[in-house]
Amino acid sequence: MSELVLQVKDLKVSFSTVDGVVQAVNGISFDVREGQTLGIVGESGSGKSVTASAIMGLINRNSADMSGSILLGGLDVLTAQEREIRALRGREAAMVFQDPMSALNPYYTVGKQIAEAYEVHHPKSSKKERQLIALDMLAKVGLPKPSECIDEYPHQFSGGMRQRIVIAIALVNNPRLLIADEPTTALDVTVQAQILELMMNLQQEFGSAIILITHDLGVVAEVADEVMVMYAGQTMESSKVQTLFDTPSHPYTRGLLGSVRSLDNSERGALHTIAGNPPSMISLPGGCPFHPRCEFASSMDDLCSSVQPTLRVLPTTGSESACHLNDDQLLSLGRGVIHD
Amino acid sequence: MKLRSYKFLGVAIAASLVIAACGSDGGSGSINKATKGKPGGTVYILTQGEQITHLDPQRNYTGSDLAFAASTMHRTLTSYKYAAGGEGSEIEADLATDTGTASEDAKTWSFTLRDGSTFEDGTAITCADVAYGVSRTFAQEVITDGPTYAISYLDIPEGGYSGPVELNAATTAEEQALFDSAVACEDKTITFRLKVPVADFNVAVTLLSFSPVPKASDTGEGYDTAPVSSGPYKIESYTPGDSLVLVRNENWDKDSDPIRNAYPDSIVYKFALEGAVIDERMIADNGDDQTAVSSDGILPENLLTIFDDPKFESRRQDGYDPYVTYTAFNVKQVSCLEIRQAVWLALDREALRTAAGGPYTGDFADGFIKPALAEDYAPGKLVEGLNVDGTPNTEAAIAKMAEAKTACPDIYELATGEGLKFDHGDTPTWAKLVAIWIESLKAAGIVLNSNPIEPSAYYPTIMDPETQGSMSRSGWGPDWANASTVIPELFCDCGGFNLSQNSADPAYAEFEAGVQAARAETNRGKQGKMWQELNQYVLDQVWAIPGSFTKAQDIWGSKLGNTYRWGPYGSFNFGDLFVNS
Amino acid sequence: MIAYLTRRILFAGVLLLAVSLFTFLVFALLPTDPAALTCGKACTPERIEANRTRLGYDQPLLTQYGKFLKGIVAGRTYGEGQGEFTCGAPSLGYSFSQKDCVTSLIARTLPVTGSIAIGGFVLWMIFGIGLGMLSALKRGRWPDRLISIVSVVGLSFPTFFLALLLLFIFVIWTQILPFPSYVSPTEDFFGWCQALLLPWLTITIISSPYYIRLTRFGMLETMNEDYVRLGIAKGLKRWTVLRKYVLRSALIPIVTVAGLDFGATLGGAVFTESIFSLPGMGRLSIKAVSDSDLPVLVGTTLVAGTFIVVFNLLTDIFYGLVDPRVRIHK
Repeated sequence: MSELVLQVKDLKVSFSTVDGVVQAVNGISFDVREGQTLGIVGESGSGKSVTASAIMGLINRNSADMSGSILLGGLDVLTAQEREIRALRGREAAMVFQDPMSALNPYYTVGKQIAEAYEVHHPKSSKKERQLIALDMLAKVGLPKPSECIDEYPHQFSGGMRQRIVIAIALVNNPRLLIADEPTTALDVTVQAQILELMMNLQQEFGSAIILITHDLGVVAEVADEVMVMYAGQTMESSKVQTLFDTPSHPYTRGLLGSVRSLDNSERGALHTIAGNPPSMISLPGGCPFHPRCEFASSMDDLCSSVQPTLRVLPTTGSESACHLNDDQLLSLGRGVIHD
Repeated sequence: MKLRSYKFLGVAIAASLVIAACGSDGGSGSINKATKGKPGGTVYILTQGEQITHLDPQRNYTGSDLAFAASTMHRTLTSYKYAAGGEGSEIEADLATDTGTASEDAKTWSFTLRDGSTFEDGTAITCADVAYGVSRTFAQEVITDGPTYAISYLDIPEGGYSGPVELNAATTAEEQALFDSAVACEDKTITFRLKVPVADFNVAVTLLSFSPVPKASDTGEGYDTAPVSSGPYKIESYTPGDSLVLVRNENWDKDSDPIRNAYPDSIVYKFALEGAVIDERMIADNGDDQTAVSSDGILPENLLTIFDDPKFESRRQDGYDPYVTYTAFNVKQVSCLEIRQAVWLALDREALRTAAGGPYTGDFADGFIKPALAEDYAPGKLVEGLNVDGTPNTEAAIAKMAEAKTACPDIYELATGEGLKFDHGDTPTWAKLVAIWIESLKAAGIVLNSNPIEPSAYYPTIMDPETQGSMSRSGWGPDWANASTVIPELFCDCGGFNLSQNSADPAYAEFEAGVQAARAETNRGKQGKMWQELNQYVLDQVWAIPGSFTKAQDIWGSKLGNTYRWGPYGSFNFGDLFVNS
Repeated sequence: MIAYLTRRILFAGVLLLAVSLFTFLVFALLPTDPAALTCGKACTPERIEANRTRLGYDQPLLTQYGKFLKGIVAGRTYGEGQGEFTCGAPSLGYSFSQKDCVTSLIARTLPVTGSIAIGGFVLWMIFGIGLGMLSALKRGRWPDRLISIVSVVGLSFPTFFLALLLLFIFVIWTQILPFPSYVSPTEDFFGWCQALLLPWLTITIISSPYYIRLTRFGMLETMNEDYVRLGIAKGLKRWTVLRKYVLRSALIPIVTVAGLDFGATLGGAVFTESIFSLPGMGRLSIKAVSDSDLPVLVGTTLVAGTFIVVFNLLTDIFYGLVDPRVRIHK
């Protein structure tokens, strides 16, 4: 088995606000291995972006309460010194943000921004060297005429081009882990595909592991190896991508898949969405956080609303699921979707 | 201070002071007497002004500026005594050896210069320097704002001479000869030939417009900021808007100047300070401010702080300034003595004074001559029935109106019908005061109409007989310590500021004859009596209602001596101040 | 960029011309007769008329304005013969009450106002931005709260009152400082600082709070920008991110405001100059108002207006230099 790049164990993140304590991430664990692409899927507010920020050490320890551990590059990000974490950023893990329109510093040329990222981990490099690296990166992410682009400012590029530049910045130090937080959401559908393709190609070339955070199962289906479904800061289901689509092992996953597929069937008017809204992160419902929206909860007496299910491995599929339904019931969820 | 009195003070009065009459034991008493001081130290003078209005002696015409320059830099033929109270209004010889000699008809005056007096460069002050100084007044294009007595008194045909060639290139030798014959020099003796008798010409020459100027140093306009000193101090630096620093004039010889004591080593005039800042500095009395005086008096809001607290007792004074306020009747229009008396009686002078700021603004005046002009002052007899406390006597006023109804029915009809027109400055204070006028006269059945006039147009309007109303507010300060600069100026057509249009009054002829006689009287004592009588004459005819003998308040630093008020100028005698260690 | 600059400068020129015409007309249309104010007591109607001719007030307004403009370029000579005198270019007219060319009056007072403005500006920017940064970095904690309380207090002081208070405290009561008296910095640098310390402090206390707020708001807003997070994610040092990413964008709107404020302060700090008795342009204007000295008023208004226009132009240019988006789009 390939080397472990990232290991998250029982991560909990909460913020104190005037309205109360926001339980953003509520005890999640996962591993990422070299060359692997992990998709983290969930609705907005499910804690997936907070997880990404936590891995990068971007969450201010003064304003958040964090526990568990995040092992990256031999350090626990949660307890390491800022200086140590800084050494990890860009080299061990780099990040691509959702909105390329705002992710680039408007006051510097793109060349400078790439070179700057390189300089962080290559402080002794010459200016000329950095310039060449930037040119090379621009070419690698597929920008036409890199030698002209290098002296241009972010606002002179389209959204797709900017996202390529952001990716170039992320990859310039050849990081072991690339965290892409909704990298295509803000882009046109045609451009989305190009960016995903680019990422996959670059992953081949650079060998990085990728965490792809998205609410779009379609994107996950295209690029991910493993998928983790998050809801209310918790892992609902975790499995291989093919398994997830073939045999979803959690009512929530089934709901999500339904949303996707019903889109395909929209002509027939069979729109399937999950009833209800995501819970407030300040006052999570007791028991399984999904139970108020779950169509099966009523048949489980009070179990779902009082006892929080733990992740368990389904031997048949190898998936992990946090649900009180028994194995057979869970295995039949996928069929339910198909026959729906 | 004629100009200041009607152009500036007058406007201020139109804006802020009160009329009122009736006797009062007006305390001109300065608590300080002139004493012997010690030399050394620096005296500071604090003011809101941007600069000394004019340091050019021929252009200086403001009370405290005159006192400042006369006592430090510009000597004159005669000077007021360096003393408090009435004594300060007496004159003594300065550059001259005595107080001058007049001819029988008081039309020729001569003075002999002392030996040893010099300008700051050490050159002796000659008769020619004095004559040249006097001639500058005639160059009215350059020498603006100064008193013009030289022009009105000297025996030179009107328009015959327009200043020395240094200031007016157009002046011809013939024109200069006209002046030279009116002001003649013979060795150390200067002789003035006048076109009218002027019994107190030797007092008039205390004005700095009669002080010497060295011809070679006359820079015209520039002389205003860099005049040559003949006194114990000279200018070290002068920056309008910042400061004027005077230091000792090493060429000044004490032996040639029996008057000036010149105690401090330097005198620093600090300009452009905020009023509130000056007062606070004076109250705090710290550091250099212990040897400072404020030349602006005290802000009304600080009067109680300073006068109610005994700790300021030794560094404050309240006393008369040189001014008198009054309301002139347009006698040509209100040609009825009974009505004029009724107005006086009905007026609530106490309410007016309270509205203007109370007793600190002044005492009820009992005439037009202030007690500081000791020889010319006598308590006036006011209209019968007038309340001493300033409250109105409406009953007496109504009785007078009844008399007027039969004595002068036309004017009675005007005063009770269409109403009399009351001229005053268009200011917020006067809007308030005029209401008191209207109300108190209404009680006696007299109708008064307010006629507010834009301040800058005020005096031109009321001095024009065509545009003057029935009554006009005004104020006056004498140009020198003699009622000859009060009574003729205010009530005679032979003076310059007669607002009462009284020549139409049958009683006027007798008055004017009296004025001419008094002017020609060379015996000062007799002349004083004559002014007193003429003052009473005006009161009897009610050509004007006296308002207030106005007062001013001063504060000074704890280490200063000789802070007495110099009567004729109504200010400190700046050059006589000394530093107590 | 060159075309943009040329356009901006031309526009500023037109604006100044408009300001000058407007100022000139406003004062020309006042009911006060400028000729009547040219002589004091001996003001006969003939002399007023003579002065009217001498100063050109007898001519039609537009002709007067033309001469005024010409004077700015070429200087101006008044009267003829013996009474002739010249105000050299750039002539803004002649003040009869001060007996001096308006340009020289302004030239004398401007260094004082300039000194107050420059020192005050530097201090208020340092304090405003410094405390604003501190406030943003310590958001919600005690330094932030303390700064916000202090700045509300500072903001609520009227200038006049604050200047008096400082003067009373430091000069009159405790005598820590001498009474301000302006000296040229080239003559006595220490004396210059000493004289201007309290005026600077006044301006700083009055102006900083606004800049503290602007900075704090700008920083907090920028710190939430994705590109700032990307900067951190790159592994850049905190200070580098702050300087290159946060401050740079947070400060741009501040510089715009600061340029205008500085221009306005150069036009004269009326209250500060009065209280501290500093002979600056603000006091010159006030005196001109009380003397109805129209030429000086026109002059100071025009100079103050020029400063605002010029600094507006400078901030625009600055904007173009630091923000590439502005550079290209305009």
